[in-house]
Amino acid sequence: MRLEFNNRRQCVAGVVALGLCVAVRVHGADVEIVKQGSIKTALSLKGMRVDAQAGSKTFLQVLEADLKRSGWFEMSAGGASVAVSGSCRGSDGRLSGQCNVANTITGKTLLSQPLRATATEARQLAHRTADAIVKAVKGVPGIASTQIVMVGARVGRQDLYLCDADGGRLRRATHDGAVCLSPTWGQGVSDILYTSFHNGYPDAYRINLGGGRRTRLAAYPGLNSGAVLSPDGRRIAVTLSKDGNPDLYVKDLKSGVLSRITRTPYAAEASPSWSPDGRQLVFVSDRSGRPQLYVQAVHGKTAKRLTYEGRENAAPDWASDGRIAYSSRRGGVYEICLYDPVSRRHSQLTDGSADWEDPSWAPDSRHIVCTRTAGYRSHLYILDVLGDPPLRLTTSEGDWYSPDWSSQ
Amino acid sequence: MKSNVWRVGAVLMCAAVLSGGCRTGGDEMAGESLIIEELEGDHRLMERFEDGTRVTDVSFDPVGFGYDSYQIDGSEVGKLNRVADYLRRATDVNLVVEGHCDERGSREYNMSLGEHRALAVRAYLIGLGVDSARIQTRSFGEEQPMDMGHNDASWTRNRRGEFALYR
Repeated sequence: MRLEFNNRRQCVAGVVALGLCVAVRVHGADVEIVKQGSIKTALSLKGMRVDAQAGSKTFLQVLEADLKRSGWFEMSAGGASVAVSGSCRGSDGRLSGQCNVANTITGKTLLSQPLRATATEARQLAHRTADAIVKAVKGVPGIASTQIVMVGARVGRQDLYLCDADGGRLRRATHDGAVCLSPTWGQGVSDILYTSFHNGYPDAYRINLGGGRRTRLAAYPGLNSGAVLSPDGRRIAVTLSKDGNPDLYVKDLKSGVLSRITRTPYAAEASPSWSPDGRQLVFVSDRSGRPQLYVQAVHGKTAKRLTYEGRENAAPDWASDGRIAYSSRRGGVYEICLYDPVSRRHSQLTDGSADWEDPSWAPDSRHIVCTRTAGYRSHLYILDVLGDPPLRLTTSEGDWYSPDWSSQ
Repeated sequence: MKSNVWRVGAVLMCAAVLSGGCRTGGDEMAGESLIIEELEGDHRLMERFEDGTRVTDVSFDPVGFGYDSYQIDGSEVGKLNRVADYLRRATDVNLVVEGHCDERGSREYNMSLGEHRALAVRAYLIGLGVDSARIQTRSFGEEQPMDMGHNDASWTRNRRGEFALYR
């Protein structure tokens, strides 16, 4: 991990620099190949045998795609330092088999686990297996089993949609028939917080995906927007205007007690995001005359301004490793930028080819999903802070925006 | 007596809105004066009233705003005076001020900016003597443009405060 993180700043500095990092590096017993972006481990799937059942074939295809999308591996027929072997067979509507992962240099077994699922869940089985391989080989969480929630605008109506981290299984989560905004995951992947106009005003709600139950979190007079759950799941941060001006509040969900975080009679706040320890919030405020990012302790009274570059800075998302991604208006377009609290440096991740907005971190603190708008059409893309090129996530007709990546 | 203090405060707030507020440009807002605290009391959105029946026989021109701005320009004051005159006569009518933004910028920030615009309109009308309990606000951010174009003229039309009247 250390190598990659030291390398990160060079890689995010620009696409030109990426071509220069071609090298073969020996990291322990792990042969890593650098090619077009980030450092990759050569991996072979040749030893994974599947039968002719549709479910088995889907499993292998999705597994290979997931391992590539993880950013850590390059598929290699010979000379691989990691070999995946085993089998996946289908019968009576079920898939079963075995997955073994070995380091070919040391001969050490890194993973050995049974495969079991219904044939209709071949994709999910592949996602779980890919994550287990990433964890076993690289020691970091995988993202293949995670999900992304977003707003989809199709045929004149907005709804929340969900998809897998590879864009598969796109499905609609709400049928409100009203303007909806700013979906964020609650705890796990069972519930989503969002802003909906289905009662005529912008109110904050939480929906349970299993039962479809909807709970109202904040419906004060005026604005109730952008609710986000604290890391401990007990509080929400939300923008309210009930006291005469859009300000940030924290609401304790059990007691209902509201604490006012900002008190800026001549400025508007928006877009709170919690620090990993739940003690601070990063948010947008226009108290300087333009939207800029600020950080404030939940129990503190003063906010520290974080951004000075860029005409506007908005939509911050605080990663579990402490870095903050945000969108920054630079040279007439919005770019995704990162702030590293250790070095206190800001870096730019995107290339000015379009408007890139609304970043949301994957739980691996390596990938970011965001909105790319070109020609007034919006699609979701996945960015890699270690330098792999952006990947388009949404392919269906419509506009797709405001993504949030699940934490597990 | 107290309501007089609030009235004075409301007028001062309007003056502040018109003159560009008191942004400091620094990390912190300047110290909050007593008047502002009192203003917050008067300008608080006390209760969300039932919308009732939309009044359709009267309509008012939307108030326009500058980019990223919630300030009410002098050119828009006439529109607000007409709304205030009407509300003073039609005492059974309530108002929802709807704040809108153009499509540029963050959707979530635009929700707050739209609300700030609606609240600035509300504050101005309160300053003109309309009872604060009769005016609610609702921001649509950039979600409901009145002009679907993607140019300066469209954006100018879309940055607006609309007046939805209910009886």
